[in-house]
Amino acid sequence: MKEAAAGKSSLTPIFPAMAGSRLLRPSIPFRFFGAAVIFHVGAWIALFIGADATPRFAGGLGWPLVVLHFVTLGVLAMSAIGASLQLLPVATRRSVGSERWPAAIWWLYTPGVAMTALGMGTGAVTALAAGAVAVVAALGIYAALLARNLVGAKGMPVVVAHGWAALASLAIVLATALALAGAYAGAPTLDRATVIGLHVVFAAYGFMGMLALGLSYILVPMYALSAAPAERPAWASFALAVLALLLAGAAALDFAPVALRTAAAAAGLASVALHLHLMTTALRTGMRRHLGRSFTLVRVAWAMLVASLLLALALVFDAPVDGLATSFGVVVIGGWLLTFLLGILQRIVPFLASMHAGQVGTRGRGLPPTPSALTAARPLAIHFACHLAALALLALAVAVDSALAIRAAAALGTAGALAFGAFFAAAMRRMRRPQAPAGTAAMPGS
Amino acid sequence: MSFQRQVSRALDDEHRASLDLLGRVESAFARTGRARMAGDAGLARLAGELAGQLEQEIGRHFDFEERELFPRLADAGEGGIAALLTEEHAAIRAVAAEALPLARAASAATLDAAGWDALKRATFELVERQVAHIQKETMALLPMLEDLLDEDADRELAFAHASG
Repeated sequence: MKEAAAGKSSLTPIFPAMAGSRLLRPSIPFRFFGAAVIFHVGAWIALFIGADATPRFAGGLGWPLVVLHFVTLGVLAMSAIGASLQLLPVATRRSVGSERWPAAIWWLYTPGVAMTALGMGTGAVTALAAGAVAVVAALGIYAALLARNLVGAKGMPVVVAHGWAALASLAIVLATALALAGAYAGAPTLDRATVIGLHVVFAAYGFMGMLALGLSYILVPMYALSAAPAERPAWASFALAVLALLLAGAAALDFAPVALRTAAAAAGLASVALHLHLMTTALRTGMRRHLGRSFTLVRVAWAMLVASLLLALALVFDAPVDGLATSFGVVVIGGWLLTFLLGILQRIVPFLASMHAGQVGTRGRGLPPTPSALTAARPLAIHFACHLAALALLALAVAVDSALAIRAAAALGTAGALAFGAFFAAAMRRMRRPQAPAGTAAMPGS
Repeated sequence: MSFQRQVSRALDDEHRASLDLLGRVESAFARTGRARMAGDAGLARLAGELAGQLEQEIGRHFDFEERELFPRLADAGEGGIAALLTEEHAAIRAVAAEALPLARAASAATLDAAGWDALKRATFELVERQVAHIQKETMALLPMLEDLLDEDADRELAFAHASG
């Protein structure tokens, strides 16, 4: 290791020639994660601005819609693109190919999301439509990259199957998004309730949900150092999830909606039960069982996934609870998907950063930094407390119809999002700079 | 992950054995107070096991991967991953070199309090580096071998590994 002895990363000259490799340059996934961090802050600020309209939000343009799309497009899909571009090639044993396309997606998608949200918040329909076209185009390119990677995939068939289901769901999400944006621009095509029904189900549980479940089969055993989850229940969970999506889709098209939505929720709950059994088994039997706050967030998210399906059932039967639809949105988007993502991101970011960090030395030994040396623990602790408190307060605020409580939740959420941003910035800074000369290795999993 | 190739399974078994020992040492350090480390017979015995692993197993395992597997990875267009894993080997070897004399001294009950602190710190770092490294090998190297090796190559490599 002459390069190591010289204190210089031997990876540096290799990356420019890595077009055929499964290991992407750090700037590819991190640009998506960085944008997600900024949209995360923006979402909580938008919630503060739109507090009055949030507790009984029932669709339509305005700041609650901005919040929803800052989170779904700006944070969830943005991170999912970055993570899947790095993780799926590892699972499928196929490279992404040229890195120009992922970079082009970011340049198209990021301003597109901002413009779409701006249009939603201000009622500027032209901006909304232009932003939506950019977002759909970017996600279309992403879908093509994803499809190319999944075709001929060699490993992890259950992960690949989840990828295909996410891809099919994305196609429905994009079609319905264009229909909705077209309707706002004065060109209605399909029945609005049908389009919204399809859009919500296939965005939350289809595209994002199937990616989250599928990537969990890579990430959870990897971090827990457990054996691979049993294949048969994983396939059963997948089949039930697809069945749930198909039933919910048919219900949105107004075929026996109550019966089919009930069956969809039941199939979804059965799918989730199997998935969580596999995940908790991996965590219980893995060689690393103490995975810290990040996996506490993941466990909270799993509980919220179950809660979201129960709330969906309550919606189907029109339970006499005020603000039920908004509560469902808070639980499925904030409780399940956002919490899950933030838990996983705080593991992925230092892990990837440590792979790309220069050998700038810990304790003057010329060694690359460890993931824990790149993790700012205090901001993560602040984020943990603020995020969970904000979500709890948000759920309470919706239940009691309090704009004041929404503002308090938004303030807490903003503080948490800024703390998460500080963690991300610290990881990026430490990845590039010499490490503090200290015994930096903390207890792994802390 | 579950592996079909003999050499993948053998390396996976060694990873697990290594992590098992490191995990036991880490847990023992975590639950033993600073003042009690020097007189703890169980900790001294574990330090002896750790010294054995650092002295023999890590070098043998890493040498085999670097000699037999990483060139195949590079030939398959994954030179970046091979270089990354090689760098991590170098880092782990460096930390192991720090920990080895301390572990030997701990095993022989000749380590002072400052030495126990240093051994604890080095062990924690070793655990973290090994965990992150094994996660990458489990995700990237071992599955790749399933594609790269045919049965004859797998048998030859498994033999070379066993006799190495």
